[in-house]
Amino acid sequence: MSGAHESTFAGLRGQLQEAAAAFADGPDALEGILLGIVDDVDRAVREPLEIFPVCHHSPASALAMARRLREKQPKVVYLELCEDMAPLLTELRNCRLPVAVQAFATEIDGFPAEWSPLSVVAPITEASAEYQAIAYALDTPGVELVLVDRSSDHVFQWDARGTHSAEPPAQNGGADAPPAEEEAALHGDAVGVEIGDLRPRFAELEEHLLRHGKVRHWSEWWHQYVEVPLGDSDHDTYRQVMLLIGSLFRRLAPGEPNRVRVDEDRERYMWTRMRAHLAATGADPADCLYVCGAFHAASRVAEFGVHGTDTFEIGPRTATTWQHGLIPSSHAAIEAQFGLAAGSVSIAATVWAKNVKRTRVQPYRLDGQTGTKKPARPRKTAVALAPVPQTSPPTDKLTGFLRQPPVLDGLDEAELLGWSVEIVRAARRNGYLASTADAIAVFETSILLAGMRDRAKPTPYDFQDAAVTCIEKDTVPGRRDVRRLVDIMMGGDRTGQVGYDALPPLARDVHDRLAPLELKLQQRGVQRALLDIAAQPELERCSDVLWMLRYLMPHGAARPIMGERKLGERPIQESWDLALGTHQRALIELGYEGVSIEQVLEQRLRRTAYGSQATTATVLETVEDAALYLRSRRLADELGTRALEVLAAERSVDGAPEVLRRVRRLLSHYRTSEPVLPQWIESFVKTGYAHYCTLLPTACTDEDATVRQVAAMLGFLFSMEGLALSLGCDRTQLELAVSQSHPEDPSKTALLWAARTQLGHLSRADLRAKCDALLGNPLVVPAYPRYLSGFLHALEPVPGLADFVVEAVSNAFGRLPDPVLLPWLPTLIGTLRSDGAELAPLLIREAGRIFPGRLAALDAWTPPWRSQPEAHTAEPTPGADTGHGVTLLAAHPATCDALAGLLGCDGTWQTAPPAPHGATLTRAHPDTAIALEALLAGR
Amino acid sequence: MSDLLRAPAEIKYAEELDWLESVDDNPKPFSWRLSPKMIRLFILGSERSDGLDREIPQKWFGDRSFVERAIVTLASDRGLLLIGDPGTGKSWLAELLSAAISRNSTLVVQGTAGTTEDHIKYSWNVSMVIAKGQSRESMIPSPIMTAMENGAIGRFEELTRSTSDVQDALISILSEKYISVPELDSDNIVFAKPGFSIIATANSRDRGVNDLSSALKRRFNFVRIPVVTNKKSEAEIVRFRTEELLRRHQIELDVPPNLLDVLLQSFADLRASAAAAGSDDEKLESALSTAEQIGVLEDAVLHSNFFGERALTAHTLASSLVGSLARREPEDLAILNKYLHGVVEPRSKEEGGSWPEFLAGGRDAIATLS
Repeated sequence: MSGAHESTFAGLRGQLQEAAAAFADGPDALEGILLGIVDDVDRAVREPLEIFPVCHHSPASALAMARRLREKQPKVVYLELCEDMAPLLTELRNCRLPVAVQAFATEIDGFPAEWSPLSVVAPITEASAEYQAIAYALDTPGVELVLVDRSSDHVFQWDARGTHSAEPPAQNGGADAPPAEEEAALHGDAVGVEIGDLRPRFAELEEHLLRHGKVRHWSEWWHQYVEVPLGDSDHDTYRQVMLLIGSLFRRLAPGEPNRVRVDEDRERYMWTRMRAHLAATGADPADCLYVCGAFHAASRVAEFGVHGTDTFEIGPRTATTWQHGLIPSSHAAIEAQFGLAAGSVSIAATVWAKNVKRTRVQPYRLDGQTGTKKPARPRKTAVALAPVPQTSPPTDKLTGFLRQPPVLDGLDEAELLGWSVEIVRAARRNGYLASTADAIAVFETSILLAGMRDRAKPTPYDFQDAAVTCIEKDTVPGRRDVRRLVDIMMGGDRTGQVGYDALPPLARDVHDRLAPLELKLQQRGVQRALLDIAAQPELERCSDVLWMLRYLMPHGAARPIMGERKLGERPIQESWDLALGTHQRALIELGYEGVSIEQVLEQRLRRTAYGSQATTATVLETVEDAALYLRSRRLADELGTRALEVLAAERSVDGAPEVLRRVRRLLSHYRTSEPVLPQWIESFVKTGYAHYCTLLPTACTDEDATVRQVAAMLGFLFSMEGLALSLGCDRTQLELAVSQSHPEDPSKTALLWAARTQLGHLSRADLRAKCDALLGNPLVVPAYPRYLSGFLHALEPVPGLADFVVEAVSNAFGRLPDPVLLPWLPTLIGTLRSDGAELAPLLIREAGRIFPGRLAALDAWTPPWRSQPEAHTAEPTPGADTGHGVTLLAAHPATCDALAGLLGCDGTWQTAPPAPHGATLTRAHPDTAIALEALLAGR
Repeated sequence: MSDLLRAPAEIKYAEELDWLESVDDNPKPFSWRLSPKMIRLFILGSERSDGLDREIPQKWFGDRSFVERAIVTLASDRGLLLIGDPGTGKSWLAELLSAAISRNSTLVVQGTAGTTEDHIKYSWNVSMVIAKGQSRESMIPSPIMTAMENGAIGRFEELTRSTSDVQDALISILSEKYISVPELDSDNIVFAKPGFSIIATANSRDRGVNDLSSALKRRFNFVRIPVVTNKKSEAEIVRFRTEELLRRHQIELDVPPNLLDVLLQSFADLRASAAAAGSDDEKLESALSTAEQIGVLEDAVLHSNFFGERALTAHTLASSLVGSLARREPEDLAILNKYLHGVVEPRSKEEGGSWPEFLAGGRDAIATLS
């Protein structure tokens, strides 16, 4: 055997040795590389378990695979794909390809928390070798499909640097890169795994190959120099050439060490798994087929082969719970994820379809595969061909292949003409002034360009260049340029769809529950749903589902056009824009979180409420959402209790306005809908009352607390006061808190004055006097607007002060000097617009009440606050006031005497003779007066 | 050394073109002197793998597909319109193409606001008309007409600068490929020989001044030449052109590589800031093209050769940068001032090298100007 072993590639070896000697003056690295490549090929070819090297999105690989499967009829197919994805593959038949197999984990254990959620996708297209293998293995009785690559868990375990976006970004970029389309984001931020990644791993080699191939990017090079020559080659040639390419890239540039380590570990993993399977089932290696990327086929690890060493220890998975499903994919998404040139996957699909037709090879297709035409006649698999025993030793096909001149695909004139006419029509539809003359020019230019690039037949890429040259002018008239139009014409993007049966239970449940809408929600695009709930009460259930979807899904998946959901309201009519088909991935990923959307929503609400970032306001929001979407009193109570805990632990007042708004809304909801208030909300009001009383003095002096927040605190205290007092709170606490507050900020001071007015500590008149004093003092006038904004905010806690605020604002307009007033006006309007949405109507209503309604009435009008002073002057002055009580005492001395007797004092009554104070003084010290008199008389 | 200040490409590379013609065995369209592949090789340079006995240097730097598309267009029925920002090498490419195809790159019409139809078709030698009457002898053919008669490439520079009626005179030339001379009774049509085509250039910044009519647009294939933003190839271009200039001026002076880096980096920075600018006032008036860089470097080299210490310094480079880019006062000066203090100053503190000197030079130049 070893003799034959030596001789298979002996000729090639000799030639390469000579070549190495000629180019590099003697045996050295070059010879090592060249002969090493032959060794790799030789080793892989001799392996008793047949290795079938593939390249991703290569129609040649797919075609060779289909041929080989028909010929060999293997009993076991080993496939390089994450082993945990196996159960899903049969669901592929329910989908329209391309779709991606996804492994998804949100509850992670053993990985850094910031990696969550983990997601791995393996996109599968119809024009791929792996699909052929899967279809063959799943639909042929007695054939086993074994996935042997590392599990999704290991993908992240081996991702040592923590950069799980290890794939290089698209390299086809440059100025010509088309704008990212929506379809390109179909995979989200998942890590892509792909069978047969084959690309040089250092930029210089790729650049060199591109330059000499006279092509623009890698996909084109591959198409030109591998795809086309291999198109019709026999199995041995195909296999040896692919092995050669894999080995070449590997030996020339293995890439960075970390990546090599992962690659080699994967090879060890796969071979270990395969040997274990062979040992367990006792299968004959000759009946098996191992499908892997050409890069892995040329492996040199010790574990390689059926007789390799068993030294590799497969590590255990982490405790992370993995969910699996199928998500829709698209050509653009695959190109974007794996850094392929735009349009290359579409072109591969077109080439595949053409090759299938031309070579009459019957490809495998899963039974009942959706999105494809039914085969015209029953497939041959029923009449299984007898496998051809491969007894003949492998022969050297490489030498011949390497020596033959480049295969020139003959010019397909009809096809090119068709393309030229088609692109001109497409360009015209998109606003270009293109005519038949352009079609002729494109045709001619394509052939000339292909000639310049040493090819007889223009490739789709040459055609694209020609079309751009002849049709593109200085501006792009429409949305798409010519380059993009050619992409679309060459097959365009195709977006896959996951069929109903392959959906997770949650997604199926959603579709079932939305069935009464009678819409084809599986389709892509936006659909309008009209729900007349008053006429068809059963649609209310659909409405519930839609509102939950709106909450859970990305924007645009379910968008209400008419109708809203508020606490205490019932829907009558609603209309929705639904795009569930477009957002299928999001729906499927929801399915990983639970079996029904209610469950997922509940989990999400809980997660928000119990998260470390939760504030009282966010927890109250979840309470509201629970009541609104789930109508669940149980969950709302649980979350409400949680809100109470959070409030008790909170030390800042940042969320006060939001808390006030939400708790008011919830209170009014429960007051109207429930016989008694829930326990938690009573406790919440009690705790809140005490809480905000405690924080008030600090918030007043704290520079970080805004006046709006303080106003909201006071609002809580005043508006919940009735309930709080009935539950056992003490008003003294509030009074003490207010008297302890000594704000320095003018707006907060004004706010506090308003609070004291509300509490009865400050009369309206005093408040007015304070404001007058402010306006009268030239040193404080510039700060007056800030007092005013304090008053405006005071409308929230003390709405009864609205007339006073109108007065203050009017005074400001009347008395403030222009340099102070004018700069402040925009601030006033801005504040009212942003913060005072609820306050402005109150203010305007009050102003409407106070000011005259007609222009004529304005002349005779005096503001009510101006007419009041007379009423005030009628009151006794403070000076006269002092004698008031004394007179009374003198008139009725009995009470006082009795009290004095009781206290043991012997009270005597003095009568103070009313005498002018100044006169007494002059009488006691007359000198000054005399001197003054003399002075005045002297004049 | 020729006694021409600037020799056209066909004279400058005459020997190289002769040699290429002698080894060229590929099919040649019309009366072309070289085959399309050889033209590409002449413009983009050769490599070892091309199997030639001598090395052909690269003369135009840019994406190879632009050159291929341009050559193929000339081999077809249509004219070629190179469009792009000023200083992207459009005219140089046009010159190289016509030199390689017809060995004559001087059949040029310069489009200006004053260009008339006569400049494109023909005019008359008035004294000869008076003496002998109108005849083919007394006719002065335009460069385009000469190109037609010889089956050569005619060039039209800055097509969009000339008025629409003048542009439209090209329509009949490009489609019928003849010019009729109604003044003559006989022999009154000049037919174009095979090989005739037109390479026009247009400045994309002038768009909207004199828009091309759609009839003319469809007789041209547009090849858009972008501004080179790839640092590596830009460095190559600047080095190539500067060496050429130094040779032309017979100056013995080295451009230190680190100064070249400083120049490239500063242009890259200024381009980035121009891209981020909101209005025209926030960006420099200059297009910041590669040609502009070469201009700055040339200016600095000449300055240091004749007025300096015969060695290029960062100080001189900075002052010539400011001098060339500050065109509007105060907008451009303000931008340069902002650039020097916002970008160069932190960098000179961090990286050192030539940056501190560059900063000082820039400051001095701005101080002089403002």
